[in-house]
Amino acid sequence: MQEQIREWLEQEKVDIFLGYKKIQGHPLPHCFTKDNLDETDDLIVGNARYSLEKMATKIAAEHPELKIGLLVRDCNQRALNVLYVWNQLRPDNIETISVNCCPSKLKEHGDCSYLEPEKAAPLKMMIGIDNNMDVEAAEEFGQEDRYKRWMYEFQKCLKCYGCRDICPVCFCKECSLEHTDLIATGSVPPEIPIFHLVRAVHMGGRCIDCGLCEDACPVDISLRLLYRKVNDIVSDVFDYKTGTSADQSPFNMLGEEVTLELKPI
Amino acid sequence: MTNSIAEIEDSACIFITGSNTSACHPLIARRVFRAKEKGAKLIVADPRNIQLSRFADVAVTQRLGSDVAMLNGMMHIILKNGWQAQSYIEERTEEFEEFKAAVESYTPDKVEQIAGIAQNDLEKMAELYATNSPASILYAMGITQHTTGVDNVKSICNLAMLCGNVGVKSGGVNPLRGQNNVQGACDMGGLPNVFPAYQPVTVEANNEKFAKAWGKALPGKIGYTITDMVRAMIDGKLKALYVVGENPMLSDPDQHHLVKALEKLDLLICQDIFFTETAEKADVVFAAVSVAEKDGTYTNTERRCMKVNKAIDPIENTLNDWEIISKLSTAMGYEMNYESPEQIFDELTTVTPSYGGMTYERLGLDGLQWPCPNADHPGTQFLHKDQFTRGKGLFHAVEYLDPAEMPDEEYPYWLTTGRMFAHYHTGTMTRVSPHLDTEQKTGYVEINPEDAKTLGVNDGETVRLSTRRGETEIPARVSNKVVPGLLFVPFHFAESPANILTNSAFDPIAKIPEYKVCAVKIEKAA
Amino acid sequence: MDFKIIPSVCSYCGTGCGVLFQVMDGRLVDTLPMKTHPVNEGKLCIKGWNLHEHVVSDKRLTSPMLKKNGHLQEASWDDAIQTTVEKLKAIIEAHGPDSVGVLASAKITNEENYLVQKFARAVIGTNNVDHCARL
Repeated sequence: MQEQIREWLEQEKVDIFLGYKKIQGHPLPHCFTKDNLDETDDLIVGNARYSLEKMATKIAAEHPELKIGLLVRDCNQRALNVLYVWNQLRPDNIETISVNCCPSKLKEHGDCSYLEPEKAAPLKMMIGIDNNMDVEAAEEFGQEDRYKRWMYEFQKCLKCYGCRDICPVCFCKECSLEHTDLIATGSVPPEIPIFHLVRAVHMGGRCIDCGLCEDACPVDISLRLLYRKVNDIVSDVFDYKTGTSADQSPFNMLGEEVTLELKPI
Repeated sequence: MTNSIAEIEDSACIFITGSNTSACHPLIARRVFRAKEKGAKLIVADPRNIQLSRFADVAVTQRLGSDVAMLNGMMHIILKNGWQAQSYIEERTEEFEEFKAAVESYTPDKVEQIAGIAQNDLEKMAELYATNSPASILYAMGITQHTTGVDNVKSICNLAMLCGNVGVKSGGVNPLRGQNNVQGACDMGGLPNVFPAYQPVTVEANNEKFAKAWGKALPGKIGYTITDMVRAMIDGKLKALYVVGENPMLSDPDQHHLVKALEKLDLLICQDIFFTETAEKADVVFAAVSVAEKDGTYTNTERRCMKVNKAIDPIENTLNDWEIISKLSTAMGYEMNYESPEQIFDELTTVTPSYGGMTYERLGLDGLQWPCPNADHPGTQFLHKDQFTRGKGLFHAVEYLDPAEMPDEEYPYWLTTGRMFAHYHTGTMTRVSPHLDTEQKTGYVEINPEDAKTLGVNDGETVRLSTRRGETEIPARVSNKVVPGLLFVPFHFAESPANILTNSAFDPIAKIPEYKVCAVKIEKAA
Repeated sequence: MDFKIIPSVCSYCGTGCGVLFQVMDGRLVDTLPMKTHPVNEGKLCIKGWNLHEHVVSDKRLTSPMLKKNGHLQEASWDDAIQTTVEKLKAIIEAHGPDSVGVLASAKITNEENYLVQKFARAVIGTNNVDHCARL
């Protein structure tokens, strides 16, 4: 793989390649370029998981013509598909090398367990939402119990916005989470459950179930489960599995001019 | 901290007092939440209802400045029930009997009268702390910023020793440092009485050691603390002040008094990355660089010395702090020709025994926790493992004393000050940060709904706060976070400065001002 | 195009979380939590996530300044240093080294704090050195 990347850079198939390099014992994201070809020998895959595609989006915004190569697991690929759909990246400018990936509802098989959440602690099992739970299991709680469990999780929120900031498919310039008419600012925890529900709503048809939000959450809120639920609704209604293809999403398909019927008001 | 941040997760009991951990140290609060979910007991004692109070097994809102009474009361109950770690006390501590006699009179009834803590709550606090081991105590400025700050800390140490919690993993006495390198500034001898690694300036051998290392005869007399400096400025004894990376105009108590002092100076030198309220008053301003533009090390609250790496070049015509000091020093006639922070680090490790085994290479990205005295030493996860640094742990007999100022007819409310989650210290850095500014744009005073009703004040309305030192107008935030009779003002906001109100009365030993307690009057602004 | 990831430490409180600075074409563009850091394990608070913002603020001081005719004006480093040294020397001459006070900082590095106290003790000749740990 190192050789392939070296070749790509040499032959200018890509201008830069986003991968990982071990720095003082820590796997860190690294930008490989033609100027430092020998560095490609140090490229590692490991189990490091940063949103390389978010970095690519940031770079492409300033250098739209740049050809970017990156290491992708299945979740990175799903994120790329969403970013293509929403015109944040141009597929022509992206080259990928696939590596082992993590299990996800949106993928049939996975052979990397890096993302497997740790076993939930006893109190969390008792009064919160276990991060390992799937949507069906969570729905088995009675409505009142379920509400209380979610409110327990939300009350821990430190309002770091890490779930949004790390999200590979969060690219809006203005964010509803900071819209003071929706959510009051200035205190922790934030207004609940509205803070988390506003974000959840925006994840419908957008979330690619990579789990980075949950991984970045300082207080282990079961965010992935919450967004899976919204995506299940999108899937049920539109038969659309987010991120599985780079075709249009149901949300922009519905906006096609030709599909609109004129109705008297 | 005697112990480490990650260890908190495995405590059997966590007692948090005088620290709004989830707002001020969120990544330490993470460990508290995780410990709680693993089954730890949580005790929160804070004059305000903080976020962590909701998760506590017992949460109390003690009256401001009543901490010694509260802690003595807990220890009274522990002793009465025989829950103390008797063999630990016998083997590892001294002066226990004097201490024991001192807490004798702190009955739950007396403590309820002083601190307003219900007797059964106090009993529960004592029982949870004493019967779940290891237990960790976390505290911050809510304990130290009092005229009895040293007494408060001694009482916390008493409690930890009483239950055998010092020198054990996941236990300990854990002050959470507010600023990123408070620990390092102290370790490096940024104090008037000690050289690096707390070597007293009054010990002749130390003086000789540093005089030899630096090639210059050194003063042996203890210098002024910041609190002394302000007084010396007023008295005309201190003529020049060199302020590096601080903003005393907002961080010092009793702002009017400080302005008077600064105006008496012949020379005020200010070195910062922003044009602070203090810089406005300066004769010379040196433009320094930010965290992203420099190499060097910070030492965090768990004594972990970590490498900061330069990400970008210094902006425009700015210089590294070390370069400015070197230039100044050389121009003063004392050559400083350092070429890099690493060269300075290699010098300081030779005179700072606790850092003796550290090099940039060894620090890597994980850092090393001091003491790390030699090149083979792995660093120290928690202190006082087999014995205390001084040998035996010393119990102190501590009596409760009232704060310097308490509410009266003229100033009927209690006022306390502190931080809020989106801003840092005097706001110099965070208020220019768009996302943080969005979160909180103005200062505010928290007032209980009951008090707001009595005063006819609605949320967001401007009120006037006045104390014996000064007054300010500020929007009211009606909130159950404060109990009736108590007001809270964050100190980040220059236009409604908390420290125009605060009392400069200070602890006689630590010289720390009583930011956490004063008496205040509140009225609707005209 | 130049894109770099630089590991460092957050400077917003005493916790000391590991961060990654993202630098594009020499500009600091973003902050990320470092996943494998022993303190924060890939998480940050609101301040940490926005650490880069104060660095790139247009309100930063960009030049040394000197008071002339009662007003602070931009000056060269040589001027600023020279003027300061002249004034400092005159004060020490007239009132002794203990008429000077130095405030080190809980916000600068260990190396810099070490130099500040060395400057106070060896260069000025006073132990009047303290910092804002109390505040």
